[in-house]
Amino acid sequence: MTAATFLAPDLELSQRESALGRTNPLVKLGISLAWLLGLGFTLDVRPPLILAVVALVAGLELGRIPTGALARRLAPLVVAVIAIALTNLLFSTHNPDPAARELLRIGPLRVTQEAVEAAAGLGARVAAIVSVGAVFVLTTDPTRLVDALVQQAHVSPRFAYGFLAAYQAVPRLASDLASLRDARRLRGLRQLHPSLLVGLLVRAIRHADQLSIAMDARGFGPGLRTAYRPIAWTRLDLVVGVSALAIVVAALVASR
Amino acid sequence: MLLVVGPSGSGKSTLAKAVAGLLPEQFPGEWQGSLRVGDVDVARRAGSPDAAAPADAPPEPPITTTGLGAGIVLQEPASQLVMERVGDDVAFGLENLAWSRAAMRERVPEALAGVGLRGFDDRRSTWLSGGEQQRVALAGVLAPGPGLLVLDEPTAHLDPLGADAVFRVLRSIRERTAATIVLIEHRVALAWPLADLVLALDDDGRPIDFGAPRDVLGRSARKLARAGVWLPDDPALPAASAGKADAAGHASPTPGDLPGAEPVIDVADVRFAYTAASPVLRSVSLVVGPGERVALVGRNGSGKTTLLRLALGLLAPVAGRVRLVGHDPRRLPAAQLARLAGFVAQEPELGFLGQSVREEIELGLGQEQVAYAHELAERLRLPLAEFADRSPYRLSGGEQRRLSLVTGLARRPLLLALDEPTFGQDRRGHEALVEALGELVGEGSALLAATHDERFARDATDRRVELADGWVLADEPVPPGRSAA
Repeated sequence: MTAATFLAPDLELSQRESALGRTNPLVKLGISLAWLLGLGFTLDVRPPLILAVVALVAGLELGRIPTGALARRLAPLVVAVIAIALTNLLFSTHNPDPAARELLRIGPLRVTQEAVEAAAGLGARVAAIVSVGAVFVLTTDPTRLVDALVQQAHVSPRFAYGFLAAYQAVPRLASDLASLRDARRLRGLRQLHPSLLVGLLVRAIRHADQLSIAMDARGFGPGLRTAYRPIAWTRLDLVVGVSALAIVVAALVASR
Repeated sequence: MLLVVGPSGSGKSTLAKAVAGLLPEQFPGEWQGSLRVGDVDVARRAGSPDAAAPADAPPEPPITTTGLGAGIVLQEPASQLVMERVGDDVAFGLENLAWSRAAMRERVPEALAGVGLRGFDDRRSTWLSGGEQQRVALAGVLAPGPGLLVLDEPTAHLDPLGADAVFRVLRSIRERTAATIVLIEHRVALAWPLADLVLALDDDGRPIDFGAPRDVLGRSARKLARAGVWLPDDPALPAASAGKADAAGHASPTPGDLPGAEPVIDVADVRFAYTAASPVLRSVSLVVGPGERVALVGRNGSGKTTLLRLALGLLAPVAGRVRLVGHDPRRLPAAQLARLAGFVAQEPELGFLGQSVREEIELGLGQEQVAYAHELAERLRLPLAEFADRSPYRLSGGEQRRLSLVTGLARRPLLLALDEPTFGQDRRGHEALVEALGELVGEGSALLAATHDERFARDATDRRVELADGWVLADEPVPPGRSAA
C-alpha cells in the first residue's frame, strides 16, 4: 500500500460486494456518528472498547476487508493511540494532586489511579474512532458515497463533487510529493527541501484548475442531472442500521 | 472535418479551446475579431470591448462547451478525467445532459468499445497508462455524440494500433453523422486523408493558408515545410538523416568494441507489479551498452514507462537485478545518479521544479553545463532571450516537452532515458532533437527511448526492443529507411 492509496483505497471487488460494502454509505456514516455521539454519554473505558472490537470484527467478517489491509491501515494509528494515552498518563493533572491515589513513583514522576483511568478512557475512545473510521473507509467506495450524498441526502452536486475532489486530493498530494522528490533526485538535488512546499502548492492549484476546466468542458453545471449509478435504500440498510443502534445502546447499558 | 496544422507554439491549442467555448470562461485574455460557433459569437459574448450590447439587454448565459453542442479532448489526458472509475467518467458528461439511466447503461460500454477499451468500465482511471487515459477521455467526449468535436492531439500518447482505432472512430463519425470535427494532429499520414479543410498557422499564429488539403499542399507546401509543419508523403528528411549519418560517423566505439566497457543498463530477470494480481513486467532482461540507441516499443500499458523508471531506480523491482553503469541506481547518491542518467518523463509538468524557464533549465547545473543547456535550449527553439521569464506551466504542450528535454540532456549523461520524447513536436523540433541525441550518443551515451513514434524510431535509433504482456517480445535492429506511420 502506497501513501496514495491510504485515504482512497482501491477496494477489492469482494469488499465492495460484501454486506457492509453494499450497505448505503449514508447509513454507515450515520452509524459512525451515532456511535461517536453515544460515547459522549460515558467516561467508562468499556463502551468504546466494545464498539472498537465490534467495528473491527464487522469489518473483517461483514466487510470482507483483507486482514493485511486492515492491519497496515491501523498500524500507524495504533501508535498514535498509544502515544496519546501515554502522554495523558504521564502529564495528567491528576498526578500532582495530593488527594489522588498514587500507584507508582519514578523519581519526580508520580502516576496516580485517576490518571490511569482518564488515560485509558481517552485511549479507548481514540481507538474506537480510529477503528470505526478505518472500517468505514475500507468498505466504502468514495464514488458511491458521493452518489448517495447527491441522490439521497440531496446535497448539491457541486458541493458533493468538491468533497470527492478534496477526498482524492490527499492521495494526489502524496503522489505529487513522490514525483517532486523523484524529479529532484534526477537533477542531483537533495530530495528534502523547503521548495518542495512551493512545488506541492503549484501542483495542487494546477490540479484544481484542470479539474474545474474538465468538469465545465463536460457540461457540469447547475442544470438537471441524472445518475449513472442509482442508489436505493434496501432492507440491508435497515438491518445494519438497527443492529448498530442496538449495539451502541447495549454497550452503554452494559457499562452502568 | 477541419485539420489545424502549425509549428509547436503557434496557438493551435488556444484556437481549439476558443472553438470549444473554454476561452472566455476559463482562460481570461484579450480578444479581437469574432468567432462564431453555430449561431453564437463566442468572442463577442466574451465581453470584448467592441461588443456594444444595448444596456437593457437581458444578461446572456455564460458560454459553455456543451451549450455550444461541443465536446473537447484536451492535450493532457490525465488532467481531464473527473471520476475514479472509467465507466463513471464516461457517464459523467451524459449525467450532466440528464440522459436516462437506461440510455447511459447502453451508451457507456458502447463508447468504451468504440475506442478499444471494452470491459474497462470498472477499472480505476488513475491506474491506467497515459494512452489508455487518453482513450477514456475520448470515449467520454464521444459518448453524448456532440455536434462539434474538438480534438487536441488525440493520439499523442497512443500506440499505432490505438491511433488507427481512434481514426477509425473519427472516420465513422464523419461518414455517419453531420458532426463537425476540429482536429489538431501531428500524425499526418492519418489526418490529412480525412480532412475536408486544412488551416495552417505560422509561428506567430497567423494563417499561412486555408482550404482543401489538395489545394493547400499545391499552393503552400514549401511555406508549410519551412514553418516546420509535417506534410503527408514527406520525402526522407534531409536534416534528420544527416543527423543519423553524423551520429553513425561519431559513434566509432561500437558497443562491445570497448574493452571492459561496462553496459550502461543491465537489467536481469526483472519482475514488477503495482498490484500482486497483475504484474506489469514478468521477466525482462535488457542490456544496453554505451553508444547504443534503443527504441522501446509496445502497446499502451505494456510496461515501457515502468521499465524506464526501474532502470533509473525510481521503482524497486519485485524480483531481479537492475544495474546502471554497474551500480544499483536506488543506492546511488542523487548527485551521481544525475551525472549518470537523464530522464525525460512522459508528462513534462510532473518534473518541473522551477518557477521560470531559466530557473528550470539552470537548476542544479555547474557552469559548463549551464552553457551547454543554453545552447540546447536555443537549438530546441526555446531561446532564453524570449522564454527566460515565462512560467514552465504556461508553455504549449510541445514547448513543455522541449523544455523537459533540455533539462534531461543538459548534463550529457551516460544514459538518456526518454519517455515519448517527440509528442507535440513539429518537424523542426524532431530534427533538432534527433541531431542533439546523435551528438550525445556519439560521445558515448546510451539512448533508451520509449516511443510510439515510428519516424523517431527510424531516425534516432538502431535497435528496437518490443514489450508485450510483461515480456520482451522482440529485440532486433531497426531496418533503416522503413516508412513512417
